[in-house]
Amino acid sequence: MENDTNLIPIGKLLRADATSFVAGCRVKEMQAPRFGALVKVALEDGDEIYGLIQNIVINDDGLVRQLVSGISIPSEYTEDNRYNRNLPVEIHVLTVGHKHGGAFSHQLPPKPPMSLDRLYYCPDAELAAFTAYGRFGYFRHILRQVDQPVEELLVSHLAKAKAAHEAGHHPTWYHAACQELIVLLRDDYPRLASVLNALAELE
Amino acid sequence: MENTLSDRIDNTNPSIGYVVGGGLEANLQVRLTVPPQSVQEGAFVIMDSANWRFYGLVTDLQLGATDPRFADEQTESRLPAHLNRLLQGQTLYTNLAVMPALMMDRGPEPGTPEYDKWAALHLGENPNPIPVKTVPNHHASVKLADQTDIAEIFGEENGKNIFRVGETREQGHAVCLNLDKLIQRSSGIFGTTGSGKSFLARMILAGLIHANRASALIFDMHNEYGPDSTASDTGKAAPGLKGKFRAKVRLVGLGAGGSFGNREPDFNLEIPYSDITPEDILQLSQALNLKETTPTTLDALERDFRQGWFREFKEMRVGILEEDENGKKVPAPGSVEFWANQAGVHSGAAAGLRSKLERVFNRSYLKEAPASNGLNDIINNLENGRHVVLSFGQHESDLDYLLVTNLITRKIRDAWEQRTNLYHKDKTKNKEPRPLVVVVEEAHKLLNREMASQTIFSTIAREMRKYYVTLLIIDQRPSQIYDEVMSQLGTRISASLGDEDDIAAVLSGLPGRQSLRGMLAKLQPKEEVLMLGWGVPMPIPIRSRRYDDKFWRDLLGDQGASMTIEEGARALGFGDDDTD
Repeated sequence: MENDTNLIPIGKLLRADATSFVAGCRVKEMQAPRFGALVKVALEDGDEIYGLIQNIVINDDGLVRQLVSGISIPSEYTEDNRYNRNLPVEIHVLTVGHKHGGAFSHQLPPKPPMSLDRLYYCPDAELAAFTAYGRFGYFRHILRQVDQPVEELLVSHLAKAKAAHEAGHHPTWYHAACQELIVLLRDDYPRLASVLNALAELE
Repeated sequence: MENTLSDRIDNTNPSIGYVVGGGLEANLQVRLTVPPQSVQEGAFVIMDSANWRFYGLVTDLQLGATDPRFADEQTESRLPAHLNRLLQGQTLYTNLAVMPALMMDRGPEPGTPEYDKWAALHLGENPNPIPVKTVPNHHASVKLADQTDIAEIFGEENGKNIFRVGETREQGHAVCLNLDKLIQRSSGIFGTTGSGKSFLARMILAGLIHANRASALIFDMHNEYGPDSTASDTGKAAPGLKGKFRAKVRLVGLGAGGSFGNREPDFNLEIPYSDITPEDILQLSQALNLKETTPTTLDALERDFRQGWFREFKEMRVGILEEDENGKKVPAPGSVEFWANQAGVHSGAAAGLRSKLERVFNRSYLKEAPASNGLNDIINNLENGRHVVLSFGQHESDLDYLLVTNLITRKIRDAWEQRTNLYHKDKTKNKEPRPLVVVVEEAHKLLNREMASQTIFSTIAREMRKYYVTLLIIDQRPSQIYDEVMSQLGTRISASLGDEDDIAAVLSGLPGRQSLRGMLAKLQPKEEVLMLGWGVPMPIPIRSRRYDDKFWRDLLGDQGASMTIEEGARALGFGDDDTD
């Protein structure tokens, strides 16, 4: 299901490594990305790197600190600071795969994206295509995370992907995804219990 | 069943699981992929791995979890149904413990060039299962055995030597017993009272008689094998062997004038005094509470009177005195004490023995000169392919049973030994002796630890088939039977047993007995039996055939149903012609 959001870049790359990257965007552009959404970076050679938004960071600056400590701030000041701020909103993306020569892969890309590469939001059809490829190999990148709310990221991602697959008439995908997660986490009771509890809230 | 390479038919049963671990000693572990209720302990399963088909027995089912907390937590109330189902499917499981028993080379996949090569190498061979020597691969698929698999191992009922004993418990496939193997070594049928042991024994004896592979001498202590009787639990009529195999079975009554319900014996057995030996009396040591001095006294009697010792001793009186020339009271001639003094035996011991033997002397079937030689008639009948049921009639005491079974078996075994020696001397002139199965009930009375060394039965059990005589022992207390005898039993068929010692005794000397122990304890009375031992390719619990009209109809055709043959003949107005 294509929509026009794929045409609009939502940010540009600030920094990257082999497993994740960070993009910056203006507050206005922040309307599109959501925690757990699938995004991609288009490389110059035509390849694409896919990732899940695992964190969105809004840093402070000196002016914000002064404003926060002020007793009464006119609403125009607040608006101005939000939309014309000097520091971008940071979008932290976990790399989950790439596309080379038109074919998906759930392996990490051979090289990370470059700074100032543009970040795009993936439409539902692309989300469905990427997640339907293979046998949920990209779950391993998510589950490898430590010190991150993995359960929340998974549930948020599964909710979006489930909707995309159901819209594409593949309702069994969600069932298979849950099964795969249980297989991968069955030796880790606390984590699996936490994921299942979060999934139960979805239904 | 004759198998050829081209006969290979694949088992079409669905897979029930896959091998996840284990070994030959500790049993194989199989992860069950179907609900645990669809498999029972004792199920006969197959596992295909590479060129081999493995045959095994489920000995245990164990519930497991990847983490015990998944088992502890009742997630049904917390998770949506489909998530709960998925979770339980992946984290809770059942493992089967499978005792591997046999393996058979099945060659590569038919139709492949490898199969053609393999088939050319094994041309004309029948693939036979061999005791298991290796294990299947990890993840080898496990299926319940189908009728073809079971027939491959246990044979297919043929109305001759392959006799159907029952069916598998889950799928009801016929399980057979090779009667040739049953009689090749001594065998045993065990089970507590009310477990269906007697009916099982009757069925197997019917199979043996019908197959005509050996003659059977049945010591029928409680008059239930030969004459028709009534089942104690159901009250239904239970036909005896005589009624169903009228021409093949001779019903012999112990002592004169015995009758068995509405059935008269073919002839009666009376035993001449001269046939009784001191050994026969020694075997009654426990029953008669004989003293340690008894062997000495009996030796002296035999030395003085030879074959007539029993008669002479019976004639002697205890305590008769006369006065000698000095007026002193001394034992009178014809008294036990007189003979004892003459023979140099302690007179008190001799007199005590004479008193204790009074019970033996009073047996009405012991005669100085019987009208006919019943023992010879029995031997002739057995040699000529007939079967003899010796019914004890009213002589049901242990004393009668011990004395008569020992005496007759010793005589018969001597006769068979003589014939065997003659046969081996000159096989062209002398006939091969006909195999004989001696059936003894309450075998622990004859084969317990104290008696086993003295009776002929332990000798027969040890010799196997050297002299063409084997035992079929029927007992409810196998733990009371001497270990050495138990370990010699080839085929063992056991109905349910409760006592730990009895279970251990039935399993003695067999591989995998730890695994089979629980199975034996949990057999359903009157329904299920466990077949095991040398005469059975692998242990297997089965639902035994019912001893009813259908059994007889299956075995003998329509003439075998409800009416006995002679009843049928009488109903049609015919006489007593033999019809079987």
